[in-house]
Amino acid sequence: MLSFDTLKRGFQKGLTTLFILAKVIIPVYFVVTIIKHTILIDWIAQLFAPVMGVFGLPGEAAIILVLGNVLNIYAAIGAIASMTLTMKQITILSVMISFSHSLLVETAVSKRIGVSVPLIIAVRMGLAIVSGIVLNLVWM
Amino acid sequence: MNGFYDGTPLWDVFMEAATGSLTSVWSIAIIVFPLMIALEVARDLDILKYFSRACKPITRLLGITDHSALPLAVGLVFGLSYGAGVIIQEAESGLLDKKSLILLSIFLATCHAVIEDTLLFVAVGANGWFLLTVRLIVAFILTVVLSKVVRWSNVNGPKDQQARQEA
Repeated sequence: MLSFDTLKRGFQKGLTTLFILAKVIIPVYFVVTIIKHTILIDWIAQLFAPVMGVFGLPGEAAIILVLGNVLNIYAAIGAIASMTLTMKQITILSVMISFSHSLLVETAVSKRIGVSVPLIIAVRMGLAIVSGIVLNLVWM
Repeated sequence: MNGFYDGTPLWDVFMEAATGSLTSVWSIAIIVFPLMIALEVARDLDILKYFSRACKPITRLLGITDHSALPLAVGLVFGLSYGAGVIIQEAESGLLDKKSLILLSIFLATCHAVIEDTLLFVAVGANGWFLLTVRLIVAFILTVVLSKVVRWSNVNGPKDQQARQEA
């Protein structure tokens, strides 16, 4: 049944989630902002431009995909916020990261359930890559 | 640009990062609090029960047992770690066959915690309806295709076949 306790729990969960989120988003935002003021951002942009171009994304957006897959969605969100991107680019990145993120942690979950880990990773990364390419081509 | 650093005063860089990151955290905060309260309300009103009932026809379309409806609903709304807990429970009670277990895991691996994830991306400028629709449709199609294409009689293994012969 609904009670004051429901609201209290919701508020506490909101606070916990926000704290976990902020702990990731703020440092990521700082690091990316600092990198943006150095020559590193140009190196990264040039290095990944050919690959990221396939998704209609600038080279430096590779940072977002790497953070999302290795760490989690929150890190990717922090990195998205710190860069200047169009709505189309942000949506493509969101779809790609939605399909494939936190691979280290979430794959452990699949393993516990007893489903092949390479299979799940292949499916998730495959979907991310295909959806990124298709969305970039279809979306005018 | 000459040299490694572009010469912006460090204080300006600090302020840029501080205001930018706090603005992002704030725009997420105004989403996270109402969402978490709404999810708790949903839990206490047992809305999941109704939602999992609504998921039953979907399990049929996906080609998995309708015992998958509850883990499907939990995973879609609350995410993979909650969903996995329920999947493991159902699997241990013997209600999920291997085919349902694999297909359910694939569906949820590609599509989970859809409310929270979608809203977080909306907070940083994504088109939420588009994101949600693409994610649901793609996960759905993928699972239906795998359900039809793979020869599940081999996957289910000798144990299941034996059980079927005995039945």
